[in-house]
Amino acid sequence: MGDVANYMEGLKSQLGDAVGEAKAALDGVPTIEIKPSAIIAALKFLHELPEEGFDLLTDLTAVDWLQYPETGERFELVYLVCSTKANQRIRLKCRISELNPCIESATAVYKGAEWLEREVYDLFGIRFDGHPDLRRIMLWEEFEGHPLRKDFPTRGLHPVERTPES
Amino acid sequence: MGLETAFGPGFITTTLDKVINWGRRWSLYPMPYGTACCAIELMGTLASRYDLARYGAEAIRFSPRQCDLLIVSGTINNKMTPVLKRIYEQMSEPKWVIAMGACASAGGPFDSYAVLQGIDRVLPVDVYIPGCPPRPEALLQAVIKIQEKIDKETVLDRK
Repeated sequence: MGDVANYMEGLKSQLGDAVGEAKAALDGVPTIEIKPSAIIAALKFLHELPEEGFDLLTDLTAVDWLQYPETGERFELVYLVCSTKANQRIRLKCRISELNPCIESATAVYKGAEWLEREVYDLFGIRFDGHPDLRRIMLWEEFEGHPLRKDFPTRGLHPVERTPES
Repeated sequence: MGLETAFGPGFITTTLDKVINWGRRWSLYPMPYGTACCAIELMGTLASRYDLARYGAEAIRFSPRQCDLLIVSGTINNKMTPVLKRIYEQMSEPKWVIAMGACASAGGPFDSYAVLQGIDRVLPVDVYIPGCPPRPEALLQAVIKIQEKIDKETVLDRK
């Protein structure tokens, strides 16, 4: 955690209120809550830090907090970035609304975000503005729904009968 | 009896069905469609301990055009279904299908949006094997069942 202070100050001065406090998560990785409008600017800032330079996007995923509305907006995007130079990791989180699940694409900063964002789009139905090729990546094109949403029925929207006769 | 004596040594009389079915039943060419743990049991069945060669079905071919016995061993998900169908269609007639294990037979434990609930939704299945995964003996019995089925066929059944 000690090193986080180095760039938290810069991040705060550049993005102001959009950046929350850095807290260590259970796994010890510093985690920062960020407003969705500032997420790309924050990633860009971390990416271009002269010393640490968070050059690797380890993962980009999402969480559906449907059953916990008291925690905030429904969808939470999680960005895990890593600095291969300084051997440091940092986690950015932002909440976006269920009504318009849409956020700016991180592909402008990390090219590797392309398939990760396609996966999030496929399974959560979150759209990414500015993504070069936003298609389903795992499920087939005709598939309806987004299975990792908590309100998606396990058997799918059009479940098949178990016995062929019926 | 009578005719053989008239032709002399080297001749027997039989029916066309019997000769053809005899050839088919002892030279099954399995097409392994292994997608999950059942495929490990399939490999075990082929290896020396259980030795599928005893039933003439040891020549696994990875090209469907050279096979006549499709052994679907493993979970088939919806995205893979067109591939399985195509493999079946490419196999040469006459052909038989074994649904090995709970997944291939009925989707197994995966009652989900992603998994095909039994290959009999898309293919005609001849023999189902229960088990998760079935033991090699069960697969051997399925091959024997296929052989029994072949025995009951006549060349006129298949065009």
